[in-house]
Amino acid sequence: MRNRLTIASVLASGALAAWSAAVAAPLRIQVPADIRSLDPGVNRDNNTDGVVLHMVEGLVAYGEDATPKPLLAERVDVSPDGLSYTFRLRRGVKFHNGADLTSADVLWSWNRYMDPRTDWRCLSDFDGRGSVKVTSVTAPDAASVVFSLEKPTALFLTALSRTDCGMTGILHRDSVRADGSFDRPVGTGPFKFGAWKRGEFVRLDRFADYAALPGKRDGYTGAKRPLVDEVRFLVVPDPATARTGVMSGAIDIMPDLDSSAMTELKDDKRADLSVIPNMGLVGLIMQTRDPVLGNVTLRRAVAAAIDKPEIVAAATEGFGKPNGSVVPTLSSYHGKVQDEDIAYDPAAARALVAASGYRGETIVMLATKRYPSSFNTAVVSQQMLRAVGLKVEIEVLEWATQLDRYAKGTYQMQAFPYSGRMDPSLSYETIAGPKDRQPRKLWDDPGVQALVDRSMVVSERAERQAIFDALHRRFLADVPMVMLFNGIASGAAGAEVRGYASSPTALPRLWEVSRAPAPPPADPKGPTCSVSP
Amino acid sequence: MRGRAVRLPPLNALIGGVLIGTLLVVAGVGALWTPYDPLRLSFRSKLAAPSAAFWLGTDEFGRDVLSRLMAGAAASVWIAVLTVTLAVVVGTVVGLFSGYMRGWVDRVVMAFNDALLAFPGILLALGLLAVVGANKYGIILALGLAYTPSVARIVRGTVLSLREREFIAASRVMGNSEAFTMVRHILPNCVAPLTVLATSMFGYVLLAESALSFLGLGVPPPAPTWGNMLAGSRPYIGQAMWLGIFPGLCISLTLLGINLLGDAVRDKLDPRMRGTR
Amino acid sequence: MLRFALTRIVMAVPTLLIVAVSVFVLIRLIPGDPASLMLGDLATPASLADLRTRLGLDQSLPVQFAIWFGNLLRGDFGVSINSQEPILPLIVSRFWISAQIVLVAVLLASLAAVPAGVVAAWKQDASLDIGLVALATLLLSIPTFWLGLLLLLFFGLKLGWLPVVGYVSIGDDPWRGVLYLVMPVTTLFLHEIGVLLRMARASTLEVLRLDYITHARAKGLSETAVLWRHAFRNAFGPTWTLIGLVLGNLLGGIAVVETVFTIPGLGRLLVDSIFARDYPVIQGCLLFVALTYVLVNLVIDLCYPIFDPRVTAQ
Repeated sequence: MRNRLTIASVLASGALAAWSAAVAAPLRIQVPADIRSLDPGVNRDNNTDGVVLHMVEGLVAYGEDATPKPLLAERVDVSPDGLSYTFRLRRGVKFHNGADLTSADVLWSWNRYMDPRTDWRCLSDFDGRGSVKVTSVTAPDAASVVFSLEKPTALFLTALSRTDCGMTGILHRDSVRADGSFDRPVGTGPFKFGAWKRGEFVRLDRFADYAALPGKRDGYTGAKRPLVDEVRFLVVPDPATARTGVMSGAIDIMPDLDSSAMTELKDDKRADLSVIPNMGLVGLIMQTRDPVLGNVTLRRAVAAAIDKPEIVAAATEGFGKPNGSVVPTLSSYHGKVQDEDIAYDPAAARALVAASGYRGETIVMLATKRYPSSFNTAVVSQQMLRAVGLKVEIEVLEWATQLDRYAKGTYQMQAFPYSGRMDPSLSYETIAGPKDRQPRKLWDDPGVQALVDRSMVVSERAERQAIFDALHRRFLADVPMVMLFNGIASGAAGAEVRGYASSPTALPRLWEVSRAPAPPPADPKGPTCSVSP
Repeated sequence: MRGRAVRLPPLNALIGGVLIGTLLVVAGVGALWTPYDPLRLSFRSKLAAPSAAFWLGTDEFGRDVLSRLMAGAAASVWIAVLTVTLAVVVGTVVGLFSGYMRGWVDRVVMAFNDALLAFPGILLALGLLAVVGANKYGIILALGLAYTPSVARIVRGTVLSLREREFIAASRVMGNSEAFTMVRHILPNCVAPLTVLATSMFGYVLLAESALSFLGLGVPPPAPTWGNMLAGSRPYIGQAMWLGIFPGLCISLTLLGINLLGDAVRDKLDPRMRGTR
Repeated sequence: MLRFALTRIVMAVPTLLIVAVSVFVLIRLIPGDPASLMLGDLATPASLADLRTRLGLDQSLPVQFAIWFGNLLRGDFGVSINSQEPILPLIVSRFWISAQIVLVAVLLASLAAVPAGVVAAWKQDASLDIGLVALATLLLSIPTFWLGLLLLLFFGLKLGWLPVVGYVSIGDDPWRGVLYLVMPVTTLFLHEIGVLLRMARASTLEVLRLDYITHARAKGLSETAVLWRHAFRNAFGPTWTLIGLVLGNLLGGIAVVETVFTIPGLGRLLVDSIFARDYPVIQGCLLFVALTYVLVNLVIDLCYPIFDPRVTAQ
């Protein structure tokens, strides 16, 4: 407190020039690769989403607990039959070009997304080929928009909020050129587009007229004030270089640390870590059609052979927690039943191996170095499986190859990192399905499929919970996969950065983040490390 | 210095011999016995500095570095030897053939050779590893193929410059067949540059394997090789320098040994050296 | 001379054709395609089919090749799947960045390594020779990704003399641009010294054994004169060929250095494109590298007679 007073009095006494110089310097954040485009939800990857979502916003967005909440909408009214969603727009929201947000802009944006020529990656999720079919969108007045659906679904708002869909971001029509091609995002986000130097950086500028929501930061909604004049996403592909940049002050924020960076930076005064669990899933997936692993007894043996706390400690530097269910620990649907798991019991595992009739066949586990936590998982679990008598070899593939093997189902076992699914239905939908038509599916069981389909339609919470509980118990019995832990989002911010926190989507957020002048040298600033459970 | 009266084995042969001898012994012992199980994980002793219990420290999984170095010696040497042999044999045949025939044969062969040379090793490795599988032999094939064109080009260059010499013309005048001339007179003259190239390549292979690991394509763990140990040590360079120093030093010393020994062997084999010593 | 150059250029056409066809086939043999990578593990069959159609990946391979090659003949390299940028300008701008690093590093390395190699050969088997060979071997055996990071930690972080991340083009700001290039050039320079010193030493050793050196010595020329006037000039030939190889290899293999020092060069473009399966960019890059390679080696071969009078360019 005394220190803060000192800073305040120094500022008041005229050292403002130095302070404002510090504020004027751009906030520099590392991205591991260049972005693919500026077009939300079209030509994108996670990295691109992380940049673009600073400029565009949707009607609804994920909160910290991964549930969709209003953002550009003031509120959302759902009709009793679940077929009609009415979005009331917030007043006073402006686009980057100064125009006011109206329902006409929402209609224009939606129609652009639904035009196949736009190549919106989520088109098939809303045109009836996926879980949702939007039959019409109308604007009864300038401040409201009504979406009508063909069938009720529990997932409509979740789908609209998806970060990989660009949050279905509302754009002004100035975003496209006269010929209809995309130019740059003119959105409502806290930052507006500045410059993009390919292969080097993307610069975004503060949007002074941003209409901020009151309250606290909440996932991708809540308070989102831009507190710095300029942010720069620097392309730094090598994590070791980026780490050096954080320590030298050349980079302010490194949003995604691997485990070696966490060990090094957690004791370093020059950086603060922010580590939270995210919605990603890391597990050992097994091909149930494999001659060896098709045997459910053997798959149970695999599950019993894995010491999850040990793996999680090794793969996440002690920051993660084991989770035996595909329902993420963060999810409000993760309850007591989801905590049930197959216990680590090497003796039992050995007995199961013997009972399964396993005759020493080699089992190949695929892994990639692209995602260090899943790679470490592979190395550690291999030793555990060997300890119970399974002959497991690791084959290290580059990510595109591993993903291809996953999509084709041509593998025995993989240490696989799934990106976050924001609803348990989507987690189950990812793994359950008919292998004949979709070889990437893990769990081919019509009964399970019916339960998953049902969970997408019912919106009553207790009923959904009951479905997820039943699914989890069947999951433990069939073991199509040994679920290990949820990914962690761990970012590091330089000591001068104030207010940075990792998000459950694992994408960086630069709103509500500022840069303070460096504390006086006398200030004993110990290592800080915030870990939310 | 060219005509010493009393000749001990030259210094380069001596140092090289000792280094390579040590390497072979370590690789032999490492294949049979190591102080600890090189694959055993121990999270209680992660990244331990060198100590009485772990002479060279432990890695990020708590595995003993000394044991891994010993076990890795055999794998690394095997990969390097096979790769270099593959590249030298294929490259020499291609280079000799192309350089001696000249004319359109040479042009066609060199067109293919240059095309292969222009291929970045990583793409070749990616393609072959995908087809053969990400294992030792995939790497040997990929690297061997990647180095073949350099060998071919060097051999061809030597042949081109030798063709103008009197003794080749003499051999032809004496009625020797082309093939005989090639093997008897030209091949021995390629030995010197090839020895240099092969010994350098030996080093490149150890390092290329490391670079492939760095890019996520090397010999899969847990099987240690010096290359993947060196690549894996990189994220810990600030916290545990020894992780990279020791495998790096092993690669350096092996290279030094093989280069010195290579020089000594070349001195013995080079036809023009017979008689001068 | 002119005829030789023209023949070589004509001969380069089949080489480039071979590269074009084989790269096209090889990258499609590698599992994984750009559409499934773009959609990741969230792909649905419908979204995957849409994207594959848009990227033209649903057509048969010969048709894809015909389209690409036809455009190529009209000078159109296509656009990147990844970034939608036109490929030729992209490659040329990236190439210039890589080339300045490679050329400076190889030039400096040749200036240091060739004389050192000649001296080592002259003092063969003496401790100076063994010392130089040991130094070259040590430099050769430090991987660039390791050496680069070490330099970064020391000069960037510990001493704070040089910038750690980012890139400024020399054209935009010459002084800062040079600062950003110091560490990557040093890394490559140290590595290439190891390569070139050993080659220069070996070629000089060859030459020192030849009769005319003995003659020169017998004529009573001083050792220094023999070495520089006769040995060095002749020994430079094979080294010169190697410099050509090194230049060619480096343009393809500079990716690691560019990754460590965040330099947006051609090597990184190629590696990123391979990992992202950005087919048109990989194809474009490889054709371009092959063309450069052919030209570099043509220049090297044209210069060869200057260093080795026994070979005539024909």
